[in-house]
Amino acid sequence: MAEKPLPVAIDAMGGDYAPEQVIQGARSALEFGIPVVLFGTEEALADIDDLETIFVSEVIEMDEDPGQAVRRKKDSSLVRAAEHVRDGHASAMISAGNTGATMASALLRMGRLKGVSRPAIATPIPTLEGDHPVILLDSGANAECQAEWLLQFAEMGAVYARDRFNVQKPKIGLLSIGEEAGKGNSLIKESFEILNSGNWEAKSQSEFIGNVEGRDLMSGVVDVVVTDGFTGNVALKTLEGTAKAIVSALLAAFTSSEEAKKGSELLAPSLLPLYQKLDPDSVGGAVLLGVKGIAMVSHGSSSANAILNAIKTANELFQDNHVENLQSVLLP
Amino acid sequence: MPAETHMEQDPLGRESILQLIKDRLGEILEIDPNIVNEGDSFADDLDADSLALIELVEAIEEELAERSVDFRIDDEDLEDLKSVRDAVDYVFSRLN
Repeated sequence: MAEKPLPVAIDAMGGDYAPEQVIQGARSALEFGIPVVLFGTEEALADIDDLETIFVSEVIEMDEDPGQAVRRKKDSSLVRAAEHVRDGHASAMISAGNTGATMASALLRMGRLKGVSRPAIATPIPTLEGDHPVILLDSGANAECQAEWLLQFAEMGAVYARDRFNVQKPKIGLLSIGEEAGKGNSLIKESFEILNSGNWEAKSQSEFIGNVEGRDLMSGVVDVVVTDGFTGNVALKTLEGTAKAIVSALLAAFTSSEEAKKGSELLAPSLLPLYQKLDPDSVGGAVLLGVKGIAMVSHGSSSANAILNAIKTANELFQDNHVENLQSVLLP
Repeated sequence: MPAETHMEQDPLGRESILQLIKDRLGEILEIDPNIVNEGDSFADDLDADSLALIELVEAIEEELAERSVDFRIDDEDLEDLKSVRDAVDYVFSRLN
């Protein structure tokens, strides 16, 4: 008899639209054939009878200090979900709640992979060119970084690009303020030297192509963009804000006159696929790389569709033995 | 007293606690434990962030629990632990 597949553990309490959108996303995943287990308060999950649920007594709020919250709230949905993965009862965990606490839960409960100084958040950035998103890491886990950590981020990003998007030899770029070697601050210059040494590329089956600039994040010239968590988060939020502003401006222009409305109706069939390609909800959320388990960090404003895509991604990464693949590359 | 349930453990003297902390820091920060000095500041010398310190605290608690020592570091005291020496002194004073 085939072994029963492990469920994906979901923090039902995390996110701006929790628990409703999270539950809906989990339900869609089950319909898709992926088992799930929801962690939430009895009040939030009392009426759920079609999904596996585990009641908890605590919730980590968005503004809580991550480390302290994980230590204090041992019966929170986040901590219990992470423990479910650690104990081998779930394939992965997902939360759209407090990002820092998601990272802290995963790190403190699952533990770090050997050879990893700091886990990093890898976020897929939709691109216009190419058939897969670009991976940006670290996009917010470590505000202060050392050059050696950026090397580990490059190695993890390469494994992730291969497992997630089937890129056999990922091209890695270092985010800087110019393409020429020697451009950037002291961290980037030092990181460039280490990455350019070439000693690591064969092991991770990747290729370092040098510095890239912010404009390359969506161009598809590289598969993985490596940076520190401060810069990565600023870059990510800048992209998101810019995209939102452009969409708002376009929508306003499309409805500014009768002619514009007619024109937009003509354009709609061409614009919709473009919108779908660039929609962050469609790419399945960010993942915390470097811990002994799969931990997905979904956007706080995640819709049911975003949660569904995160669950699908988590399940695929588990099926692909992603954590084991990371460990084999990162072992000294 | 059955030997298998009462394994002889090193007494938790100051040196043992220092070694325990150095070993755990080595694992957490992926560094050689031998380069950790007692006078090192967590933040300035070891680049240990707050999460790394919580990893250390949980590792110490777990290690002491395995030695059947009931020990927990109060969250309020965490902020005062700035250096390896602070941590050694704190654990030693709580155990004695």
